[in-house]
Amino acid sequence: MKFIYKDLLNFLSEKPSIKNLSERLFQLGHEHEINGEIFDMEFTPNRGDCLSLIGLARDLNVFFGKAKPYKTFEGDIEELNLDFQNLSPEVCPKISFLEIEIEGNTNEYKPYLENYFSLLGNKKVNFFTDISNYVSYELGQPTHCFDAKTINDQLIFENRICEGSFQTLLGSNINLAGNNCIFSVNSEIVSLAGVMGGISTACSTGTKKALIECAFFIPEAIIGKSVKYNLASDAAHKFERGVDIQIQEKVLRRFIEIVREHASIKNIKIQSFDEGKVQKSSIPIDVKRINKILGIDLAEEKYVAYLNKLGFGIEKEIIVPTYRHDIASQNDLAEEIARVIGYNNIDSKPLEIAKKLDKSVDDVNKLKNYLIKNGFSEIINFPFTANEEKKSISIDNPLDTNRRNLRTSLKNSLLDNLLYNERRQKDSIKFFEISDLYTKSDQINQEKKLGIIISGRQGHNYLDFSKKLDHAYLSNLLNQDSDNSVLTIEEISRTEIKTKKKDKIFYLEIPIEKIPKHLFKLSESSIDRINFIKYQSVSEFPSSTRDFSFSISDIKKYDAVIDHLSDLNDKNLKDAFIFDFYENKKLNEIKVGIRFIFQSTLNTLSEEEIQQSVNKLLKPIVDLEGVSIPGL
Amino acid sequence: MSSLDKINPPAVTKNVGTLHPINQTKDYLLNLLTHLGFTEVHGPEIESEDFNFDMLNIKKSHPARQMHDTFYVENKSNVLRTHTSPVQIRSMLESKPPIAFSSAGKVYRKDDDATHLPMFHQVEGIYVDADVNFSNLKDLIHQILHDLFGKDVEIRFRPSYFPFTEPSAEVDILSENGKWLEILGCGIVNPIVLKNCNIDPEKYSGLAFGLGVERIAMLKYGVNDIREFYKSNLDFLGQFK
Repeated sequence: MKFIYKDLLNFLSEKPSIKNLSERLFQLGHEHEINGEIFDMEFTPNRGDCLSLIGLARDLNVFFGKAKPYKTFEGDIEELNLDFQNLSPEVCPKISFLEIEIEGNTNEYKPYLENYFSLLGNKKVNFFTDISNYVSYELGQPTHCFDAKTINDQLIFENRICEGSFQTLLGSNINLAGNNCIFSVNSEIVSLAGVMGGISTACSTGTKKALIECAFFIPEAIIGKSVKYNLASDAAHKFERGVDIQIQEKVLRRFIEIVREHASIKNIKIQSFDEGKVQKSSIPIDVKRINKILGIDLAEEKYVAYLNKLGFGIEKEIIVPTYRHDIASQNDLAEEIARVIGYNNIDSKPLEIAKKLDKSVDDVNKLKNYLIKNGFSEIINFPFTANEEKKSISIDNPLDTNRRNLRTSLKNSLLDNLLYNERRQKDSIKFFEISDLYTKSDQINQEKKLGIIISGRQGHNYLDFSKKLDHAYLSNLLNQDSDNSVLTIEEISRTEIKTKKKDKIFYLEIPIEKIPKHLFKLSESSIDRINFIKYQSVSEFPSSTRDFSFSISDIKKYDAVIDHLSDLNDKNLKDAFIFDFYENKKLNEIKVGIRFIFQSTLNTLSEEEIQQSVNKLLKPIVDLEGVSIPGL
Repeated sequence: MSSLDKINPPAVTKNVGTLHPINQTKDYLLNLLTHLGFTEVHGPEIESEDFNFDMLNIKKSHPARQMHDTFYVENKSNVLRTHTSPVQIRSMLESKPPIAFSSAGKVYRKDDDATHLPMFHQVEGIYVDADVNFSNLKDLIHQILHDLFGKDVEIRFRPSYFPFTEPSAEVDILSENGKWLEILGCGIVNPIVLKNCNIDPEKYSGLAFGLGVERIAMLKYGVNDIREFYKSNLDFLGQFK
């Protein structure tokens, strides 16, 4: 919600600078951004009472004193004899109506009203609605303006199940469903109460006589309606968070005053329907308890003074203002005091929790360590899937209706992970995931499972480069020398997943509790993994691979070649490894194969750029006598 | 003897894999809390509304309970937990003070954009004993943030609102570029929650706090887009060795 700095100052006896005001707002817990003289506020959902100038000022009064900047109409007003029936007083215990008629033209808006539109970017609609919107900004109470001539029969308020179409005053058609608070005339719904009025009874620029409705609706009756019908409604935002049940007549008198400042009033009548349900809420004065909650030592005199400045009544007990729906306990009052003192001004006091333990490495972490040491990377996947089985748990309100079930296996997620990386030219993939899986039978079942997927080369070093990740590899990794009949390794057919790669894919899934214990013993100690490195952006551009084979006939040069290959440096070189090493004893010659992988984070590398990098990387080697690259 | 016999073959480097950076961060936080005296407890990701909301003083009318914020499953019989706090509730029901529990794991909310995901991770802690107060909470939060971001980090507490704590606070740290960054939420356990867990709020009080693991990981590793963590890209994961 946006406020004009100068509007807010009108409600404060002191006139703080923007900076000072901003600091105090943060201290009170009101986050905001400042653009020039506009404060864009973000209030926590429990502070609906702050959604107005007067509301925010009530909090700030504790620092800057109080001023009353506005006038209300104080004259006598004739009683309105409205044909109105409230069929749901439990959701609307208080409602007031003002019938107001003007004559002649309206005047140019005074600066305070004009600024509300021009500086805050609000759109003018018509005279009565403009005032209604301004009053809500000033006092936090929404009002709704009916064109009086359209309310030509009994007006009924009720909270009931509705069906059918309703056209809002903004012209959108919504299909009503479920319980709604509505106003109706002759069985026609004329307003979605607390959210938005209807087009058939809305005021227009020609309206001279309006019926202004001003009510207290309980938040529970309004919550969720604007979202349900996709209506942007400031009124609903305020009613959902709770308005002041005692402010309605004051608001209508302020409404009259603003009309009076801009037009000639021909007639005004007012009527209130009050179910008399306002209950005085009070909390015992107990400063010891407050000090205990906060860990401070505040004198009672100061305590009650702070609360008084925040608008609380001080009698035998602390009287909670009717607009503070968030205050019900000593802890709530402690928060009020902490806000006034400032959270940052409350000293820290040492806390020693008795039990101190070192976290032991549990079985799952031992297993993870073992897999990681063997080149596996851990994956975390979302559980949502399109696959549906009898045992699948379905989500009633999925984000994506095509993925409305919880996965019952890790297989498809890990297969997707593998294929994703194959498309990014990865030729050695070893992934695992450990996750709880949920299924249903006559109850919801939870099982923690390990999934492992492999495909491609066993590794990039010259011993593993030409070996493939296969059944034997996985079996050897997991079987060791024990009985592993529970470990079932499955080959996933490439035909079914329609990929051109030839490497076989092997998969294993097993509940953690069924994993043979010897596997956990393979890695007793924890890897020291916590190394908060600074991550480098991953390139979205394709990589290019170049392989080179050196013939080293002068064996004395071998160490120089290896040293150079271990210390390669080029901005486009992403990876390099020796994938081949061969000693030809007959010819007294060594062959070394190296693979360069080039990739840039800025662009797809051109052939020329790659060649420049290759030349730079190879030059120190090819310059060596007795070292050659056949074919170069 | 051939001259080749004197040469050493190139070193064979075995590729080491990686623990997922989110789990690295989660484990780091859990280790820290264990060191501070918290015992790790676990709970299910599919929860009843009772444990996920009601016991935590999140009323039926609270916006978080709406279908647009929370995933409901199996005809609204349960929810995907929206926080790890239900684990604390379950554990408190089975214990007597003093208690100090930590819990961590996946949580779900109906969000999906550059800064929010439908699944993310939380780490939480709760401590209940006689005379636990807001000053103690501040001390604990300082210990945690000093460990994570160094002794010199500037810390700011702001009033906030959580139904399960009162008073509630959000805590920011001052970043290198001079902007305040929100790090965690915390507060004094609402006496209603203690009462719901059969703990006498007249005798005991508690403090609680929760951290978003992805948020901490993004700050510590310098990752700008939360979605990077869940792409399973080996080029990304391979950096966190």
